[in-house]
Amino acid sequence: MRSIPVSGRSADDEVEVTSPLVSIRKLTLDATTARGTAHILRGIDLDIGKSRILGVVGESGSGKSSLAACLVRLLPANVASIGGEIVFDGVDLLALDERAMNAYRGTRIAMIFQDPMTALNPLFTVGTHLVDVLRRRHPGLPRDDAEQRAIAALGSVGIADAPLRLVSYPHQLSGGMRQRVMIAMALLVEPDLLLADEPTTALDATVEAQIVSLLEELRRSFSGSIVFISHHLGLVAQLCDDLCVMYGGTIVESGPVSEVLGAPRHPYTQALLACELDDEDAGGRLKSIPGEVPDPVDVRNACVFAPRCRYAKEVCLEGVPALREAGPGRRAACVRWEQIAFDVVEESA
Amino acid sequence: MSAAGVVKARGEALVEFTGVSVVFDGRVRALDDVTLAIGKGEIVGLVGESGSGKSTLCRVLVGLTPPSSGTVTVGNRPVREQLAQGALAFRRRAQLLLQDAVASLSPRMTIGRTLEEPIAIHALPRAEALARLSAILKRLGLSSDVLAKFPHQISGGQARRVGVARALLMRPEIIVADEPTAGLDVSVQGELLNLLLDLQREFGLTYLLVSHNLNVIRRVTGRTAVMYLGQIVEEAATRELFAAPAHPYSAALLSTNPAVDPRKRFERIVLQGEIPSAVNPPGGCRFHTRCPVAQERCTTDPPFLRPLEGDRSVRCHFPYSLDRRRH
Repeated sequence: MRSIPVSGRSADDEVEVTSPLVSIRKLTLDATTARGTAHILRGIDLDIGKSRILGVVGESGSGKSSLAACLVRLLPANVASIGGEIVFDGVDLLALDERAMNAYRGTRIAMIFQDPMTALNPLFTVGTHLVDVLRRRHPGLPRDDAEQRAIAALGSVGIADAPLRLVSYPHQLSGGMRQRVMIAMALLVEPDLLLADEPTTALDATVEAQIVSLLEELRRSFSGSIVFISHHLGLVAQLCDDLCVMYGGTIVESGPVSEVLGAPRHPYTQALLACELDDEDAGGRLKSIPGEVPDPVDVRNACVFAPRCRYAKEVCLEGVPALREAGPGRRAACVRWEQIAFDVVEESA
Repeated sequence: MSAAGVVKARGEALVEFTGVSVVFDGRVRALDDVTLAIGKGEIVGLVGESGSGKSTLCRVLVGLTPPSSGTVTVGNRPVREQLAQGALAFRRRAQLLLQDAVASLSPRMTIGRTLEEPIAIHALPRAEALARLSAILKRLGLSSDVLAKFPHQISGGQARRVGVARALLMRPEIIVADEPTAGLDVSVQGELLNLLLDLQREFGLTYLLVSHNLNVIRRVTGRTAVMYLGQIVEEAATRELFAAPAHPYSAALLSTNPAVDPRKRFERIVLQGEIPSAVNPPGGCRFHTRCPVAQERCTTDPPFLRPLEGDRSVRCHFPYSLDRRRH
């Protein structure tokens, strides 16, 4: 660990360049399917910075939800093997036994799921959900104290009449309210790492806007790191600090969100941005990426995007490209990104 | 109750809704005084949140849900009358593409059987219909091997194309597409939309396209109707609507779609609360309980859909009062 002085502050008041909260190295995940072994994650290297919001984007089957599942080690039954390491604050989570891992869940790592209806237990009231979470985090906390904190938490996520809502059951709440309850539960945990798997996808547009505003507000008071999984690039651009783009079980590009989206290095990120139809003045044909997503069972020793890449050359089929530096704080898994960046500038000139 | 001003479609209207309401169980007002014209060859978009009445409007158009009051005409003849005189002929005119393409295919039938079934139901000349089907499949880029497959053996994109093929086989005049890109990845949605646009030109089709994806609506449609709680609150040329929404709800809805490029992003307008129940909708303007710029009058006096300058109509006493700001 090293420290650098920051201008305008005294010498003792230095800001430390700290190690990341989570370091994922060579993470692999295989699952058994009827057709053979599916390689769901294929060697993920990723750091999650302290107090940063990391956006994870990718299409269905890219492995983004599986990555989150690995971080809490809540994996489906057909998982055949998991390899590599996930070092969380100095401890490799993959090396822990089930009991030791369980000590992290709902304490230092919390999760917000896509569908708040199935994530809340229909037999318990909102109050029971919140108090249970608190008592897990702070064993021995008196029930009255826990209830007071639960009421405060509901208020902080914008739920009016919090004392009344404490005795409501999940089915008595709207979708937006349920997601607010989920967020309140996650915040009561005060986790070091909060995983949010498409937390607004199931909500209507104006309710989604409310939840996004809430998350923006909360990030000022929340000191932990957030992994925000989404397929909505605009939302990620607005909410996140860092971005990681996944394709076919690999990370193809990572870096600060504005830089990755402002000048993508990997051809897949470029193609994905071109498919966003958000250009006000655009006309003509709509863009798409020809070809099909890679088959996780039939994995080749080549760039995973090469079959759909408009810039692919022979060299792209000679082994899996490493995720290598592509500017300050940026990495891309493309052997040709320098050349492609040059070609793109030439094309538009 | 009827609109003070009726917006006419450009050119000849193929579909006209006039003061259409749908009441379920005598109390759920799913559609309330809907007036909308769709011109021949137009692509009209329909946006709104769940419970706003989009799907009910679609079902009324294709004759699956009868209106409780008001009239719907397709080709200048009431749908009710056309259904009474020959339901099959009307159903061929107006085809519905369902939201869940895979679920709309019977899991127990091969794709081939599913596609051939309507030929028998509608008693089409078989040889001619089969020849047309194979031409359609070719046009949609579906190889003939899909015919032997079951729905679970094909991809989501292929299932969409099968749905489109089934609709085209009937030589429809209008296709109502309910969320045609829902569940599709962005990398393939453009391809499907291009296909729908090409078919529209080739076959002179008219589309009513429902989507919650505002980017899709902006790029594909010529006009857009915005719905809230069973009513159309604004209708305008798509380009003009996105450039300057007149209704406060339209302004808020459009602001929820952040662009990737921060220079093109508007400040998010966050509405309070959620869409109220259609069983007991608010009096006055239905949007007043959530409207950031509601005034006294809005709480008691229900606005009608009225024409504004340009080819636009709006159901608001104080249009353009909610400004969007660039970031």
